[in-house]
Amino acid sequence: MQIFSTPKSIKKDSSFSFCPGCDHGIAVKLVAQIIDEMNLQDKTIAIASSGCSVTLYNFLDVDCIESPHGRACAVATGVKRAHKANGKEMFVFTYQGDGDFASIGLSESLHSALRGENITAICINNTNYGMTGGQLGPTTVLGQITTTSPMGRNIEYHGFPIKTAEHVALCEGSAFSARVALYDIKNIINAKKQIKKAFECQLKGYGFSFVEILSNCPTNWKLSPLDSHKKIENELSKIYPIKVFKDITND
Amino acid sequence: MSHIKIDKNKCKSCYLCVDVCPNKLIQKSNCLGKTGEFVVEFKDKDSKCTACAQCAMMCPDIAIVEVVKE
Amino acid sequence: MKEKTLLKGNIAIAKAALNCGCSCYFGYPITPQTEIGEYLSFEMQKNNLAYVCAESEIGAINMALGAASVGAKVMTSSSSCAVSLMQETLSYACSDELPIVLVNVMRAGPGQGYIFPSQGDYNQTTIGGGNGDYHIISLSPSSVQECVDMTYKAFYLAQKYKNPTILLVDGLLGQTAEPCILFDNPYKEIDNSSWALTGAKNRPSRKIHSLEPSQNKLNKHILNLKNKYDLIEKNETDYEKYMCDDAEIILTAFGSLARAVKAVVNSFREKGLKAGLFRPKTLYPFPYDALKKIASQAKAIIDIEMNLGQMLRDVKLGVLSDSKVYFIGKPTGNWLKKEEIIDSVENILKENYANI
Repeated sequence: MQIFSTPKSIKKDSSFSFCPGCDHGIAVKLVAQIIDEMNLQDKTIAIASSGCSVTLYNFLDVDCIESPHGRACAVATGVKRAHKANGKEMFVFTYQGDGDFASIGLSESLHSALRGENITAICINNTNYGMTGGQLGPTTVLGQITTTSPMGRNIEYHGFPIKTAEHVALCEGSAFSARVALYDIKNIINAKKQIKKAFECQLKGYGFSFVEILSNCPTNWKLSPLDSHKKIENELSKIYPIKVFKDITND
Repeated sequence: MSHIKIDKNKCKSCYLCVDVCPNKLIQKSNCLGKTGEFVVEFKDKDSKCTACAQCAMMCPDIAIVEVVKE
Repeated sequence: MKEKTLLKGNIAIAKAALNCGCSCYFGYPITPQTEIGEYLSFEMQKNNLAYVCAESEIGAINMALGAASVGAKVMTSSSSCAVSLMQETLSYACSDELPIVLVNVMRAGPGQGYIFPSQGDYNQTTIGGGNGDYHIISLSPSSVQECVDMTYKAFYLAQKYKNPTILLVDGLLGQTAEPCILFDNPYKEIDNSSWALTGAKNRPSRKIHSLEPSQNKLNKHILNLKNKYDLIEKNETDYEKYMCDDAEIILTAFGSLARAVKAVVNSFREKGLKAGLFRPKTLYPFPYDALKKIASQAKAIIDIEMNLGQMLRDVKLGVLSDSKVYFIGKPTGNWLKKEEIIDSVENILKENYANI
């Protein structure tokens, strides 16, 4: 009996462009599995963004548009509403990095959540700008050394990082907001469960659903994939708690 | 006999599967992969594989393309 | 034939957009175009169409990008300094080949400037502030009736060429009420079923993106866009020429100012001076060839604008001679009056042409 095979929603002969050991690959795989399990492939329009996640459309076998940097939630709003005006309910989700969602696109992201836009946003938080070589981003933690915080992030000089999932949970229009991680099997199973819940929220029309995926960046953290997972388990998950912050389906 | 299938062309030698396999059935091979490192191979002469699929869940590149339970 | 109704330019544009099947509007308020959004907010909600009071112009234009990608007829409207905020996404929309209609009802700049009428966005529209080799089709109405005609045309050209189209409206025209006929959309529908993102049902999945890491593919893509722009220039260049055939003096103007210039031409003709008006109706593509032909027989070409000479550059490119091109203009405020223009033209002629 086949326990696992490549998800149907992953393009044949495609190969991820991510660095070795990068959690992006696990995240995309989970999304593809859920699209398959929920039978969403022909109803989905995915919004890719700028950064390491931009080439999503080369891996996921669904209709996909690339958004200008940070504007994925605005593009998703247009896609969702235009279909609705045409009498069609489509499943629309964004796949963004933390720089995209929570820095350059914070306005578009939070306003979509505030409006209760019936879309799902998935945000990979790897605490730096990965594609450009590991600069200080909105989620870089205090003390973290990056190429633009060579002495480590400090409050006086760089200011505080943002806790994205907590902020989204505060928006009245959000239906679901959770932070998950992928550093071990238990967490991967939980991540899948929460992404699935977020997708279900949209299908039921509950409003904005959000999953922040606390991820590694072995290349820019200069750690082995295994050590980068240990860093998330031992350090980052203490700062960015793995938790469901809001779930209106439980209320 | 339960087993997994590895696509050597997809393996990027991150070795997360080596660590995650509860029975330590995945190891570095002596075959170089596309990143210039040794790719992994599945060795299970005592038929210890339970098809738990943890390796496939962990693999970031879907290089473990199949897990079969028998 | 439908009856004439008295309509403000802004409302005429909104009504024409609805008439030709615009199903999505995203916008953010800015004077002097806010009435477009206000009018549509009621009509679109009433008809279960898509309307979002966007968080910013950046939000609005990106919602428009999303709506265009699914094949919807989408419009956003804004003004000058806020159109500046949309430049990035306009460049994306050109590369993605997505039809977005953007109405820019101009105010004075630079920066926030003020809500005074001006034609200061000619360069922003025709040259643009986005990156890369791209062009945006630009239509320039001179009356409320043309606001209706050109709104229809903007939607048509955007769909036909899968390219953003700007309707560049003088603030004066947006705010002026004139009699016009709201006739039915004369253009045929364009089939977009081969590219719109409607879900990969019974067909392969589709992707719309501007990123292209292959140098060869990116080169090819940009050259394909260039071929499209060449076709637009060949097919869609539009202009009005008034009394140009025997004219010794050609006056050039765009937008509503061209109407004052037309009155100037009439006055000169009454005095026996052979004057004519040349008015581009498409700013991109600019009618270089037509202007060149007309200018070759004229002694002087005088460009008149409510800015400090933005179309002047294109006029010179059309005439291909600096020596006989002159400029009359001011940056903002009350529109140049017929008498002011006549005085200025006569001064230019007196200084440079003893025989006219």
